[in-house]
Amino acid sequence: MNEFELLRNITIGQYLPADSYLHRLDPRAKILAAILVIAAVTFTPSLVGNACLLAAALALVRVGRIPLAYALRGLVPAVPLLVLLAVMQLLFFGRNYDPTSSVVFQWRWLAVTIVVTAAVLKLVVVSAARFIELLLVTSVFTLSTKTTELTLGIESLLRPFRRLRVPAHELALVVTIAVRFVPTLALEAERLMKAQASRGGRFGGGRWHFVTRVRQLLPILVPLVTYALRRGEELIVAMEARAYTGGTGRTAYTVLASGPGDWLAVCIAAAFLAAMLLAPFPA
Amino acid sequence: MTASHGVTSAVGARAATGRADEALIRVEDLWHTYMAGTPFAQAALRGVTMYVCPGEVVGVIGHTGSGKSTLIQYLNGLLRPSRGRVVVAGYEVGRSNSGIEAVRRLVGVAFQDPEDQVFEPLVGDDVAYGPRQLGLAVDELRARVRWAMEAVGLPFDAFKDRYTYTLSGGELRRTALAGVLAMRPRVLVLDEPTAGLDPVTRSDVRERLLTLCRRDGLTLVLVSHDMDEIAGLADRVYVLHAGAVVASGPPREVFARPDALAPYGLLPPYPTQVCMRLRARGIPVRGDALTIEEAGAAIAAALRATR
Repeated sequence: MNEFELLRNITIGQYLPADSYLHRLDPRAKILAAILVIAAVTFTPSLVGNACLLAAALALVRVGRIPLAYALRGLVPAVPLLVLLAVMQLLFFGRNYDPTSSVVFQWRWLAVTIVVTAAVLKLVVVSAARFIELLLVTSVFTLSTKTTELTLGIESLLRPFRRLRVPAHELALVVTIAVRFVPTLALEAERLMKAQASRGGRFGGGRWHFVTRVRQLLPILVPLVTYALRRGEELIVAMEARAYTGGTGRTAYTVLASGPGDWLAVCIAAAFLAAMLLAPFPA
Repeated sequence: MTASHGVTSAVGARAATGRADEALIRVEDLWHTYMAGTPFAQAALRGVTMYVCPGEVVGVIGHTGSGKSTLIQYLNGLLRPSRGRVVVAGYEVGRSNSGIEAVRRLVGVAFQDPEDQVFEPLVGDDVAYGPRQLGLAVDELRARVRWAMEAVGLPFDAFKDRYTYTLSGGELRRTALAGVLAMRPRVLVLDEPTAGLDPVTRSDVRERLLTLCRRDGLTLVLVSHDMDEIAGLADRVYVLHAGAVVASGPPREVFARPDALAPYGLLPPYPTQVCMRLRARGIPVRGDALTIEEAGAAIAAALRATR
C-alpha cells in the first residue's frame, strides 16, 4: 500500500541468508541445475506438465527455506504485464493459432470478430504458469546465492571455453554487476519518485493507465540514467584504485570445492528435465 | 517523552507559540517497519509523537539510522501510517489518495542531496516542474519561479536559462530547493539542507531560510545531525534515537542536560560545551549559550564581572 516502496517487490538480485541445502550448494552445480530446470520449463507445453513444474518450483522454494509469501511478492509488479499478455492472446490469436482446435467463444460486431479457441485458452494458462515458474526458479536461485559465489561459478563454468576466446572472467563480472545493480537502481528510483512527488509530481493514477504511467516516468528516468552512469563511473574508479586489471593471474578468496552432494543436484535436475521431456503428458 | 512545554522563541522576536492544540502537523504514536512482510523487515519508527505549529522552526536531531529520514516521509504523505496517526492541517493522512495532493502542496519536502532529483536541462524549467503540474497561467508560473529562485539566491534573469550541468554543487542545491519552494508550501521540511556545502554558501542558505520563515511565515522542519546548526535555528527540537523521541523541547532546555543526551551518543553544540567546561573549572559563565555569538557574549560578560 505504500505506493513508493519498490524494493519490497523485487526478489531478483537479493540474497537471503539461510542455512539450506540450496544455500550450501556449489554455485557451479546450482547454475547448471537452474539451467536444466529452466530448460524443462521452456520445453513443456502441456497443462499437466506445467502443473508438475509449478509444484517443483514451489518445492524448490521450500528446500531453499525461503518464505513463500516473499518469493511470490516478485510477481506483484508483473501482474499488469501478465494480464495485458493474456488479453492480447485472447483477442488476436483467434484461429491463426492451431486452426483445428474447437471454438470456445465467439463474438461478432460489424467487421470485428473475436474467436477464442481451446488451444488459445490453454496457451494463456501455460504462458502465465511458465512466467510464474521462471520467476520462482530465478528468485530461489538468486536468493540462495551470494554475488561472489555467482561470479566464481560463472567464471569457473566458462573457463573451458577460454580457448574459443570467451572472456570468462569479464562475462562473470558483467553478470555480477548487473544483478548487484538491480536493488540499487530500485532504491534510487524510489528516492527519485518520492522527491518528484514532493514537488508536485504525480505517480500511479491507476495501475491500468499505461500511457499516463509511462509519461510520468520521464522525470524519474532521466535522473536515474544519469545516476546509473555516475555509479558506473565511480565503480570503475573504485576498481582501478584497488589495482583491478582484469582476470589474468587473479586468485580467489574462496576456492570452490564440489562434493558428491553438489553433483547429485545436477543429476536430479537432469533427470527431471528428461522426465518432463519424455513423459506422455496429455496434449 | 513527548513535548508539551510552552516555548520561548529562540530566534529573534517571532510569534512562535508552539502549542500542541494549534499544530499544523500532528504525529501521534507513529510506527514504521521497512520491507514489512519480507525477511528483511526492520523497524524504523517506534511510537513517535511530535507536532509542528505555524511559523515555527522545528529541529529533528539524531544519528544516522535514528529514523529521521523515515519520519519526514510521513509529514507529506509519501508514507501512509499503518500504525499511528498523521494529521496535516486537519486532514488525516490515510490510505486513500483523495486529498493527498493537497497535503503534498502544503508540506514541501527536500530530501538529502536534493540536487540528485534535478532532471530538466534548464534551471528555470526544473524549478517550474512542480507549479506546472498545478496548471497555472504563464504569468503566475513565471512569477512563482522568479520568486522561488530569488528566495534561494539564484538571480532569475541570470540563471533561468543556464544549463543545470554547468552549475556548481551549491547552485544545484539552491536550484533543487527552489523547485520545492516554487510549490509555495506552508511547511518546508529539509533533510540536511546545508550538508556538503562550503561555509559561505552554508550560512547564506541558512540566512535565506530564516528570512523565508520570518518574512513569509513559512514553517520549517529541519532535520540534521549537526547540533550546532539546529541549536542556532530551531525554536524546538526533537531528539530521535532508534526510532523513538528521547528528548524534546526548546534547544536551550534540551542541551542544558548533556548527561541526558550522552547515552544516545549526542553532544551539545560546541559553544555550549565550551561554556559548560568553563563553568566546570569555576569560571562563572552562563551555561546556556547555543551559538558562537551567545558564547562570546557570555564569556565577555564573565570576564567583565571578574575584572
